This record gives sequence, structure tokens and C-alpha cells, in this order.
Amino acid sequence: MAVHGDIALVTQVAVFQNKKAFDQLVRKYQSPVRRFFLNQTLGDEMLSDDLAQETFIKAYLNITKFRGMSSFSTWLMRIAYNVFYDHCRKMRNEKLEMSNNDYRTIPDPAYGSHPHSSFLTPHSSLKMDLYAALALLKPGERECITLQLIDGYPVNEISKITGIPENTVKSHLRRGKDKMANYLRQNGYDR
Amino acid sequence: MTDKDNLLVEDFFKQAARQQIEDDGFTERVMAQIGQTKSSSRRWSLMWTWFCVAMALVLFFLFGGWESLKGTMMVWMTTALTSLEVFFTTAPTTELPLNPGVLLLVAAFVLIYLPYQTARKLSATL
Repeated sequence: MAVHGDIALVTQVAVFQNKKAFDQLVRKYQSPVRRFFLNQTLGDEMLSDDLAQETFIKAYLNITKFRGMSSFSTWLMRIAYNVFYDHCRKMRNEKLEMSNNDYRTIPDPAYGSHPHSSFLTPHSSLKMDLYAALALLKPGERECITLQLIDGYPVNEISKITGIPENTVKSHLRRGKDKMANYLRQNGYDR
Repeated sequence: MTDKDNLLVEDFFKQAARQQIEDDGFTERVMAQIGQTKSSSRRWSLMWTWFCVAMALVLFFLFGGWESLKGTMMVWMTTALTSLEVFFTTAPTTELPLNPGVLLLVAAFVLIYLPYQTARKLSATL
């Protein structure tokens, strides 16, 4: 039902340039898209909002390219993934990367090093642990883990979003979950 | 990875998955940005359209388009008149199965629908 609703709204936007329909789509998907960016940037609210905004603008400008082969949310997350990937590439080119080993690793916000971490106010303990745990993962692992465990996408959908083969997604998930489990045990989550 | 580890990780992320981010004016900002992007692209599109129209007019007169058009029109008119002449000459002996309903539909299509669609598309473009 929700899928049909999305397709009806997308049709309204694509055929009649109905802005109200797109407004509804933004309202519906702003939370998962912003949460995706928050998890990838480890809690940088300002950057996440900028990237989310860019994602929705790209979605609006390219809405006629949506063919309905996958759900609208998968298509949107694919754009979000590409926006994040482009951002990382730009950062690398500008030599603003924050780690020598991995250009997509961002400093650990869990210890208050991040300037825009106001999302950490409610339930801050959980969020601090979440971002600290996610910081241990490689970017590919982080994307797969958050897409599966937070956004609830199955392996084949994650493969579509990231463009990574399903077996590689499974490897990322296995390694990521191992690292997460170790981290959680060390921090007393198994008690 | 053991089942216990798997449960541990899934439980931890279950709480994170419940996190809903409040809109807090985000949608309004996106829609405002889209309005700006759209008007900017629309402005460029209009400029490009007028540039093409101007170029077409210049090339039309530069390469003697008017003379060529006049020649073509003359050929068409001669052909049409000849066809009409042939039609009227042969009409009394020819039986045409004309359906008034179909005629009405064709007339409505040509006189109402086509001008309406053309006007609508032109107004959407300009």
C-alpha cells in the first residue's frame, strides 16, 4: 500500500510537477535519509542535513528517471549513497580527509570532538556508543551494517543501493558484526 | 560469530533503529531550495529557447528561406488545386461511404483538440 502510495506521489511529481506531492515524499523519507547520513558521518548533524538536502534535490530533478524497478525508498537511498560517495571523493580531492588510512573515516564524535553533535542530547549514552561503535568499522562495513540493522534492508536491496555484489555485502556484514559484538562485549552490553 | 553475538548486535541496533528524526523545518528548507533550483533551470531553459528561435530566424533569412518557402507553398497549392479539380471532376460518379459520426469526431479533433493541446504545450514551455 505504501509502495503504491509512493508511486502515485512520484507520478504526480513527474507528470504534473506537483510540489505538494514531493513535499509529502520529503516528509516521509527525511528521517531515514538523515539518519543514514548521521550514521555515516558519525553524528555530524549539519553535514548530514546538507547531504540529505542535496539527495532530495537530486531526487526531484531526476524523478522522471525513476522506473519503479525497485521501491522508491531503495532508489532514494541509492541517490543518498552516491551523494555521500561524491562528498567523500571531494573531501579526498581537497585533501581534507581526517585519517591517513581511510579517507572516509571521520573523527570519533562520541568523545565530544564533533562540533555539530546536537543529536547527541537525547539518549546520548546510546548514541555515543553507537557512533563510537560505527567508527570502528570500515566505510563499506558501516554502510552495510547501518542499512541492514538500522534501516532494515535485506542483502539484495543493500546490493542494489551500494552497487556492491551480494557476496561482498555478506562479507562486510559478517566482519562488521564481529567487530560490533567485540565492542559491545568490551563495553558491558552482554550483561 | 555465535548466535549470542548476533542477538547482542541486533538488540543494540534495534534501539538505534527506533530513532526518528524530527522534521524541524527540514522539508520547508528542501522545498525552498527546489524552488530556487527550478527557477534557475527554467531561466536557462527560456534563454536557450529564445536563443534558438533567434538563430533560426537569422539563418532563415540569411539563406533565403523566404524564397524557398514561397516556392514550396506554390508547389503545394498547385498540387492541392489539381487534386481538388480531379476530385470535383470525379465526385459525381464516386460513392464515398462517409459516416457523419466519424466526420464529427475528426472535425472535433482537428478544430478543438489539436489547437487546445498546442496552446497548452506552448504555455507550459514559455
